[in-house]
Amino acid sequence: MPTPSSRYLRTAFLVGLFVILCIGGFMYKHISELSQTSQEVEDNYELRSELELLISNLKDAEIGQRGYLLTSDSLFLNPYQESLNKIQNNLTALDTLIIPKGGQVEKLKVLKVDIAKRFENFDKSFTLTNEDNTILTQELLFSLHEGEIRMDRIREDIIEMLRLEQSLLTEHQKINEKKIGLTPLFFYGLLIVTLVILLLAYLKMTSDLRALKESNTELDVFEKLTKQSEIVSDSSTWVWYIEENEFEFSDNLYRLVGEEPQSFEPTLENFYKYVHEEDLDNLGQQVNTMMREEELPFTNFRVVHKDGTIRHLKAFSKLMDDAQGVKTMLGVTVDATNEVENYRIIEQRNQELERTNKELSAFNYVASHDLQEPLRKIQTFLSRLESKEKDRISESGKDYIQRMKSASARMRMLIEDLLQYSRTNTSEKEYIKTNMNMLLEDAQAELFDSIEEKQAKIICDELPTMDVVSFQIQQLFINLISNSLKYSREGVPPIIEITHQEVLSREVNQIKNSLYKYHHKITFKDNGIGFDQVYADKIFLLFNRLHGKSEYSGTGIGLAICKKIVENHKGIIIAKGEPNIGATFTIYLPFLK
Amino acid sequence: MNSDYINIALADDDEDDRLFFTEAFEELKIKSKVLLFKDGVELMEYLNGADRTLPNLLFLDLNMPKKSGLECLKEIKDTKQLRDMAIAIYSTSASEEDIENTFVKGANVYIKKPNDFEKLKKVLSEVVTTNWQYHTSGLNKDNFLLRL
Repeated sequence: MPTPSSRYLRTAFLVGLFVILCIGGFMYKHISELSQTSQEVEDNYELRSELELLISNLKDAEIGQRGYLLTSDSLFLNPYQESLNKIQNNLTALDTLIIPKGGQVEKLKVLKVDIAKRFENFDKSFTLTNEDNTILTQELLFSLHEGEIRMDRIREDIIEMLRLEQSLLTEHQKINEKKIGLTPLFFYGLLIVTLVILLLAYLKMTSDLRALKESNTELDVFEKLTKQSEIVSDSSTWVWYIEENEFEFSDNLYRLVGEEPQSFEPTLENFYKYVHEEDLDNLGQQVNTMMREEELPFTNFRVVHKDGTIRHLKAFSKLMDDAQGVKTMLGVTVDATNEVENYRIIEQRNQELERTNKELSAFNYVASHDLQEPLRKIQTFLSRLESKEKDRISESGKDYIQRMKSASARMRMLIEDLLQYSRTNTSEKEYIKTNMNMLLEDAQAELFDSIEEKQAKIICDELPTMDVVSFQIQQLFINLISNSLKYSREGVPPIIEITHQEVLSREVNQIKNSLYKYHHKITFKDNGIGFDQVYADKIFLLFNRLHGKSEYSGTGIGLAICKKIVENHKGIIIAKGEPNIGATFTIYLPFLK
Repeated sequence: MNSDYINIALADDDEDDRLFFTEAFEELKIKSKVLLFKDGVELMEYLNGADRTLPNLLFLDLNMPKKSGLECLKEIKDTKQLRDMAIAIYSTSASEEDIENTFVKGANVYIKKPNDFEKLKKVLSEVVTTNWQYHTSGLNKDNFLLRL
């Protein structure tokens, strides 16, 4: 298919050729016109001289006639005869010399008639001289007179002819001059046009050449870059010309099998020499499939270098048809050793993780079952002692029993909280669309007794519905409310305000870099003892307590669980406190609109 | 067979728990006969033996050597003669998994061993006085775990 540029060049060539042919044609016509004009001028001069000759010949004939009339000597008749012949020749020449236009032919006829009449006059005068040579008769005189008139008419005829001839010539010359005057301009124009076309073609050709050169350079750069990138990325390319059944390997393919570039003939057999013997069958099959179906899906195989190093390679190829219908397979072979190795490491780590998880759940079981069992017995035996042996134990003994009871109760709490904490980590998380108002209600129901006891007031906004692990969010609410109940001020009934609003992530400093556009902001605000803002981050740490055990019971796990739960839901929790005024816990949970 | 007595059996490998159990029944003043088994094998041997008195109510610990409570439960429910016996699971743990499994296999009630003797007495008297033949019809997963 011709490219636009070659089409352009062809058009320019054809137009140029046409113009040159035109110029040639016009030139030929012009030159022939020029030569015709000069012929006409030449003819005009000849005509003039011929007419003058005619007059002089007529005069010669007249002289001969007069001599004969005077002397009657027939010797005078010779020049007369001679000029007669000459006049005949003159007239024949005139036939060809005149311009046959504007009545000139008729004028020539008139001249011929007048000349013929003149000769008739001559002949008549000769007949009148026969009888007496000495006497000029009346008749002869009359004839001579007539001859004179005839001669005048001939002269007039000739003058007339010459005048007409001259005017015709002038007219022709004028037309020709006009033509000749226009043609150079026309030629010049055509020439300019041709030159412009040639110039354009030349410019086009040079720009095409430059573009070709540039794309050649680009191709060169691209080839070098490909070679570089192949080395950097441990990849290689190859081409299989299907019709010729020939291969072409890129330099790096040789390197991938541990050889110098182009150090062996690029054939399948030579390549197979490097393939790991366990993978040879599979690769062979894949290549056979490729030759049949003209496509190679991702194929993994190993190669063995001369020094024994084993590398994992991955090959892939696709068929390409070019415009001429020539089929070639373009293939890529990549060193995937790192990938395979990384995958193996990840798999190993996964197994380790799985094992650790199993160990962790085994620990959970031990903690929940085996640790609780002896504790339960201690507690039961204590209760037995308290009731059955009540009368036999001293007061201090009873005090010891009370202390043992509170210590074991604390241990139970610790075990249970720890279990809960580990459960928020490991238990299966199922995110289900849940109405959070329900979860809050359930949490309040769970804490019904302590709420009553403390005469607490809980004011809450409408909460949203979102995808959560419901038992965790319920736990979060329980922990936050019980936290507020626990750290209430002496003698001040707790008021817990729970508010909700939707916020744009970028408008809140702590979450402005979040991947989510929106967050639910849920705040728990109380009027309890609060805390110093210095400890705002510390209170979420495991086993971290701000107060002595005897002041406020607690394990230091509750808020750590809260943090864990919020993090499980991709949110954040922030604490803000003011001593003796209250604490505020703000939760940001991301959601999609 | 004396019909005035309620026949109760307990399979538990823990000596202390067996002690609490018997002491609780003594203090409860319920006319009862308590049979004790140290593990699942011993229990099943008795139940499958000839000339035995089938207990009215069986308390079954889950974590036992040789044969676990869960295995016993399955065997009992697979045996035609034993199938109708009321079974209370009596375990230290109250994990969701255990509760689910025993409920599905047909236990009547799940008791988490209390850590207070008075509570134990309360729980046992509640379970013993419930008519399980009648109660079964209203059984569901929510009231399966006994809460007092």
